[in-house]
Formats: sequence, structure tokens, C-alpha cells
Amino acid sequence: MTDAELIARAVVGDDRHAFAELVRRHQSAVRACLRRLTAGNHALADDLAQETFVQAWRGLKSFRQEARFSTWLYRIATNCWLADARKRKETLLGDSDDAIADEDDDDGAPSGSSGGDHARGTALKVDMERALAVLSEGERAAIVQCYHNDLSHEEAAFVLGCPVGTVKTHVHRAKQKLKIALASWAPD
Amino acid sequence: MNPTPDIDRDDWLERLLVDDARDAREAHVDDAGFTARVMSALPATLLAPRWRRPVEWALWGIAGTAIAATLPSMATDVARELFRLVAAQPITPMHVLAALAAMGAATFGGAAFVLRRE
Repeated sequence: MTDAELIARAVVGDDRHAFAELVRRHQSAVRACLRRLTAGNHALADDLAQETFVQAWRGLKSFRQEARFSTWLYRIATNCWLADARKRKETLLGDSDDAIADEDDDDGAPSGSSGGDHARGTALKVDMERALAVLSEGERAAIVQCYHNDLSHEEAAFVLGCPVGTVKTHVHRAKQKLKIALASWAPD
Repeated sequence: MNPTPDIDRDDWLERLLVDDARDAREAHVDDAGFTARVMSALPATLLAPRWRRPVEWALWGIAGTAIAATLPSMATDVARELFRLVAAQPITPMHVLAALAAMGAATFGGAAFVLRRE
């Protein structure tokens, strides 16, 4: 059954089983996206993911299929994260150390025991989360949407609720900062 | 990231971002009870029962009919008294300007509310 069919059943028939199937299908992507946005804070990311799906349920009637369902979920997730970040007035660099310490292995990645590629991937993940914490909210959101979620600039603009030009500016500025934060990964 | 002309594939940071994103996408996050938690947190119902709207309209209709039947001249009395109150007041250009400004503000406010972004 497609997402559109499940959505129709959830909206028209108040079918919670259909919505549960949608949650099962998209929970991994939404939680992974939020883990990146929260710089690796898994507990906060899961709370925000839960809020994302509750808001999606409330707003399902207003979903017009103009974008993919996953893109619409990313939009809600990003708005939840932005609202929470503003509420907390988080100190990005200060929070990042705790967030990275909070990491666990529940995505099935053992910590650096196997080959070189895996060790490199784990180190890159940690460094990337630390580096993303340096960025402003808008820059971080743009990088996560364009790279982590593999969205086009147009789709990212829909998710972030801003013009395409602003997304490009955020990405450009973010990359300037990331070049400094990830300088140790630069080739000699 | 989708191909865009402003991306330099030789850029080491670009490769780093693409590698990291690919690794992150490949790592599936186990559900581990997440869906169950979401479902238990959902509000009671998405839709009102189908019978609710017709019943609401019927009740409003009954209430309106009852008011009209018991107070047949109330509406005309209220309108007449309102007209007398207004007609008794001297209207100056300032009053007209104030009324126009108030209507403009109400229109602008209403339009801004309707067109506000989600």
C-alpha cells in the first residue's frame, strides 16, 4: 500500500493502523534527521520525532500531496526542532559535548572495532556532529536537508519555509564554517 | 545531494559531507517501541463523528426558530434603537476619518491573519 493510500485511510476512515504503518515507514528517516539537527542528542531527537508525528496526525487533513510525505514530515520535524531550540536558547557548542556523550549504539553501529572504513565512518560521524553544532540553526538545517536528507535546494526551501536563495546562502556559509571546523580532514 | 551546478566535486568538504550523509542514510534506526509510543500519544480522534455536524445545524436551527417565535419584534426593535442612537450623534469629518481608519485597520489585520504563514 502506498503512502497516499495510507494517508487517505487515516484521514477518511480515522484509521490509526494506517497511520501506525506510516510512522513505521518514516520513523527511521525522521529520527535520523533530528539526531543530526540536535547534534547527536538521541533522547531529544526522539522526543521531537514523537512530537513531529503527533503534529502530522493533527495536520494530516491539510496535507495536499504537493510534496512527498517524507518531505512534509521533514518540514514538521525541522519546525519542531527550531521551536525547541529557540525555547531552550541552547548554547550550541556547550550542548554538543553532552550530546555526543549521549550517543548510544541503538542504530546498530558498534564503536570502532572492525575495519578501517568503519572506523573512519565513526570518527567522521562524531566530528561532523561536533562541527554541525558550530553552525547557526538555519545553516545547520540547510546542510542537514540538502546533504543528510538528500533534498534539492527547492525541496529544502519548502522544508525550511524560506526562499531557495536563502537556502543556498545558508549552505555556502555553513560550508565555510565546516571547512574550519573539519580542517583535520582536509587532504595535506 | 541532488546534482546542482554550484557543487564542486573535487572539494574535499563536499566529499566528506556526501560520505557522511550516505553513511547516516544507510544506518537504519530501529523502531524499538517508538511507533507504539507515538500511537499512544495521539489525541483521541482525528475526525468528529459524522452525525455531529447535522445535529449541530439542527440545534442551531431550533434555537433560532425558538428565539424568532418568542421575540418576534426584538430584531427590529434593536435595529431601530441603534439607528436612533447613531442619528442622535453629530457626525463630524473626524468621525468619518476615524471610522475609515478603524475599518482599514480591521481589513489589514484580517488579511494579515488569513494570509499568515503556517
